[in-house]
Amino acid sequence: MAGVNSSLTADDSVLPSHAGPFSPIARQQYAALIWLQSRIFLNGIRTMRGSFELGARILTGFLFFVIAVGPAFGLGFAAWAGVTNGSPLAVAIPLWVLCGVWQVFSALVPALAGQNPDLAHLLRFPVSFSSWILLFLIYGVCTPSTLIGLFWAIGIGIGVTVARPDLFLSTAVTLALLVFFNILLSRTILAWVERWMAQRRTREIFTGIILILALVAQSFNPAFHNYGRRVHGQAAHQGAPKIPAAVWTVQAALPPGLATAALVQPMRHQGSGTLPLVGLGLYIIAIAGLLVLRLRAESRGENLSEAPRTSSPSAHKVRRAPFLDFSGPIAAVFEKDLLYLLRSGPMLYALAAPLVMVFLFGGAMRSGSFGHLRAQYALPLALVWAFLGLTRLVTNNLGGDGQGLYLYFLSPTPLRSVILGKNALHLMLFLLEAVLITGLVIFRFGLPAPSVAGATLAWILFAVPANFAIGNLLSILMPYRMNMSRMRKEPGALGNGLLSTLTQVAVLGIAVLVYLPCAAFDHPWLATPILLALAAVSTFAYLRILANVDRLLQSKQESLLLELARTA
Amino acid sequence: MDSPAIALRDLTRRFGTFTAVDHINLNVAPGQFFGFLGPNGAGKSTTIKMLTGLLAPTSGSIEILGIDFAAHPLDVKRQIGVVPESLALFGRLTASEYLRFVGRMYGLDRDITNRRTEELLDFMNLANEPKKLVTDFSHGMQKKLALAAAVIHGPKVLFLDEPFEGVDAIAAGALKTMLQRMIDRGATIFLTSHVLEIVERLCSHVAIIHQGRIVANGSLDELRAGIALAGDNANEKLTLEEIFLRVIGGSAESSQEALQELSWLA
Repeated sequence: MAGVNSSLTADDSVLPSHAGPFSPIARQQYAALIWLQSRIFLNGIRTMRGSFELGARILTGFLFFVIAVGPAFGLGFAAWAGVTNGSPLAVAIPLWVLCGVWQVFSALVPALAGQNPDLAHLLRFPVSFSSWILLFLIYGVCTPSTLIGLFWAIGIGIGVTVARPDLFLSTAVTLALLVFFNILLSRTILAWVERWMAQRRTREIFTGIILILALVAQSFNPAFHNYGRRVHGQAAHQGAPKIPAAVWTVQAALPPGLATAALVQPMRHQGSGTLPLVGLGLYIIAIAGLLVLRLRAESRGENLSEAPRTSSPSAHKVRRAPFLDFSGPIAAVFEKDLLYLLRSGPMLYALAAPLVMVFLFGGAMRSGSFGHLRAQYALPLALVWAFLGLTRLVTNNLGGDGQGLYLYFLSPTPLRSVILGKNALHLMLFLLEAVLITGLVIFRFGLPAPSVAGATLAWILFAVPANFAIGNLLSILMPYRMNMSRMRKEPGALGNGLLSTLTQVAVLGIAVLVYLPCAAFDHPWLATPILLALAAVSTFAYLRILANVDRLLQSKQESLLLELARTA
Repeated sequence: MDSPAIALRDLTRRFGTFTAVDHINLNVAPGQFFGFLGPNGAGKSTTIKMLTGLLAPTSGSIEILGIDFAAHPLDVKRQIGVVPESLALFGRLTASEYLRFVGRMYGLDRDITNRRTEELLDFMNLANEPKKLVTDFSHGMQKKLALAAAVIHGPKVLFLDEPFEGVDAIAAGALKTMLQRMIDRGATIFLTSHVLEIVERLCSHVAIIHQGRIVANGSLDELRAGIALAGDNANEKLTLEEIFLRVIGGSAESSQEALQELSWLA
């Protein structure tokens, strides 16, 4: 054995593992990862499902491209106008929009969070910490929100440079720093939110902070709305809006404000813009420090368990009351999935995000032209959004069970009962969200017209069974493994996500196709019975699919276990 | 003679052109502690998956306690307990929550489930960390929990796939005692393990599968007698490991020869 050890330690083919992010071993590791990704990609498209996933990726990529390019032109034009007119405010607004949308959407819209592999699996290899950070950032560049932000930054850069070609270099440096800051910030927020969501106590504190921030934002909303109207009125008289000095001073000290100063100073010959860039650099260093702090803990294999490290031996004698006082497999699955949900920060986050969005952006719906019309339809629109938070759970309802999936096939419980238990939980969650959102909408917009309320209720009766029916089919035919403790999309999620989005669009489209003609012919009440008839059809379809769930699951048993319960 | 607890008739499973299990016939009598052995890739896991309903056979039949598995899968599943290779655990439940969940999935009354859960957690020494999630358990603790879940409904036939792997000696002793008690009360246990000493100590009967076919089947004495009849070691009391190696055709010497090929480890 001694011979073996000496042979291994003396082996020259083993590269040293303590080198930096661009050392030979690190480069070899990157090459291996690229090879791995390419093999996964090529092996993936061999199957029908993989090809579909590729098609979905191309389609969503095109959609994101469209989302990116349109506003890029707008922001570029705004920046060009700002520089041409010499208005610091007109330069600041595109930069604030860039940063705000980038951060808000990468945090709140799961579709823009990207599909990143879990880097924790690299910890068993001799990957240096600096390489690990670099990989974390590179994967961050590959998210849709970053690509959209990059396009927008390029648009702004082109706008400024067209107006003042001599500012090309300083603009490029400023925007590059701002982009880097945004990449770092979004990755840091993701890393820390994931950490906070992993444990119950921090999860509760975090939820409290989010709620308080939402309430504060909501209370500011009318104030800003009134201020906006006032500014709009002043602008009509004086030609340009004015920002209060205090707000302008505060924004000037923040990264988009510093970037504005870095662009405006050379433009107005008030300086080289170096000092604001140094300030932006300090922000980058501070955010990077926070990210390194988090990643270092992760790279050392921290344990994000829910449990305290020590507990008294007699504690198990104290038994909590069960969630629901009824027995049977359906209730068991309901209770188990509820426990899973309550312990999954990312899932709670996904459920809460539509509520927060309705809360935050509710005010915007009421203002502007056609505001009264939008307010009238706020309830159905908000309820559609409420369903979005549930989509992942409904259309991939076996994805979070992992190896527990074996138990469903081993136990004498009909698989229909398992699916029914899951559907029951999702129905309860939807009803809970619907009640909260209805309360919010009534608070913000008042009671909707009876015809709209009736049609909305009938639409829910149609949409819920339709979503569950298609969700159950997708869960069996296009499942993907979900990591309940991580805020990232998993491989295979894109195809499922695209089909579930199309389902949502179809279900909403049917309602629109029913309601609009009725409203146009002045018989909006007629939409309710038509939608109720459709509800009967969707309920029948749901029950038919449920009746065949055992047969379907048995026929797909091997592929489901392989896809969802595999250990590697 | 009693009807067999487990009866396989021409059981076959093909994956494309590859035949993993090839027309197996096997009877396991009630109350037997039965060892099912084979080298890696021999068809052990495929067979146990078919026996527990995780994989459909290509052809052939399975009867458990006289019930046809294909015709009455739920009736069979009520009678059997399984510790699969993957353990089938829900990582984000506590041990107590998991056992209560399993009990209810097997249709046990809530009170009985609760009582058995506490007894099993005590017995398996898992009661000390009531708030710890299963995902944070050590591998050995997960094995113990999977075994507890497999017996919570009092199965008449128990399928165990490598139950002692990763379990410490004290826990292994407790598990063996529990399994022996189940045998004494008339249960049948079907065990696969690569630790042949444990199989030799526990099992009264053994079958060896190789390349998808049963190549040896009987009590240990019957297997020894079979090898003696074949010509060598007539007077020798062979261990199960020696029997296994002779039946499969491997040897410690061939492993040494293979090691010579790995020049950097030599």
